[in-house]
Amino acid sequence: MSYAVGDALPSFVIERVSPDAMKQWAVFLADPNPIHLDVEVVKAKGLGDKVINQGPINVAYMINMLMAAFPGGRIESMDSRFLDNVYEGDKVTASGRITAIDGDKISCDLTLDAEGRGTVNAGTATIQLQS
Amino acid sequence: MTELAELPPAPDVAGTRLDGTGTYTISAVQNAALCRSTGVEPSLDGSAHPIYYYVATQVAMGKTVAGLCAACDFDVEEGPMMGSSGVRFAAPLRTGSTYKVTGEILSLVRKRSRKLGVMDVLTYRLRLHELDGAVALETDNVWVLPRKELA
Repeated sequence: MSYAVGDALPSFVIERVSPDAMKQWAVFLADPNPIHLDVEVVKAKGLGDKVINQGPINVAYMINMLMAAFPGGRIESMDSRFLDNVYEGDKVTASGRITAIDGDKISCDLTLDAEGRGTVNAGTATIQLQS
Repeated sequence: MTELAELPPAPDVAGTRLDGTGTYTISAVQNAALCRSTGVEPSLDGSAHPIYYYVATQVAMGKTVAGLCAACDFDVEEGPMMGSSGVRFAAPLRTGSTYKVTGEILSLVRKRSRKLGVMDVLTYRLRLHELDGAVALETDNVWVLPRKELA
């Protein structure tokens, strides 16, 4: 497979962010923060009217996009900034674009967008291609 | 509005150790559930989802999320927010492998934001080690701790 600077990476789409996944992640993360579990708490805190996805799940969506774009590749480094919340029911799309190629290492810009609300997470990653 | 210079300083917590006291094993069963919860199937070659960089270090560091907030004199009920997360992998993570965590708080800086008012920005670093001590990854996380009582 060949790559070039400027190439867009195939998007990874979650059609509907699941509150059931948030319950699973509360266990995975050993963090029972109720803003991910109880909509009444979210309302009481003035944070909206839907439960809020745990931040690391949003990073995982971007990782999934990278792993599909570079089969067999290995993430060497990745940084992401949390710009806005992702809510139950959101449709989110992880996208990327190649910014540099150095031998078998590829650098990319990444975004995660929530339909109707714009970019909620942005970052960069460097991938070591399969040798 | 209170000037930042007039506010009490953020707690001096830089250097606080976050070393874990136990170990963390990436379960193949949990990895499969985690992968499917994010819309993908688990790898068949025994590699774990890379997001375990965050999961494993958070679970196996020496403090709970509430405890880390408390170390910063912040009540977790006030709602810490993730600002950013970075990772540098030295080796892929594998299911069935057992790791331990070391780490420390790098800084806690009091700032004023137009959107959030007064806040403390917490930066901490965690390392995930193989049991022989080799570093599998290093991660830096930044959390925003809104200081509503100081706004």
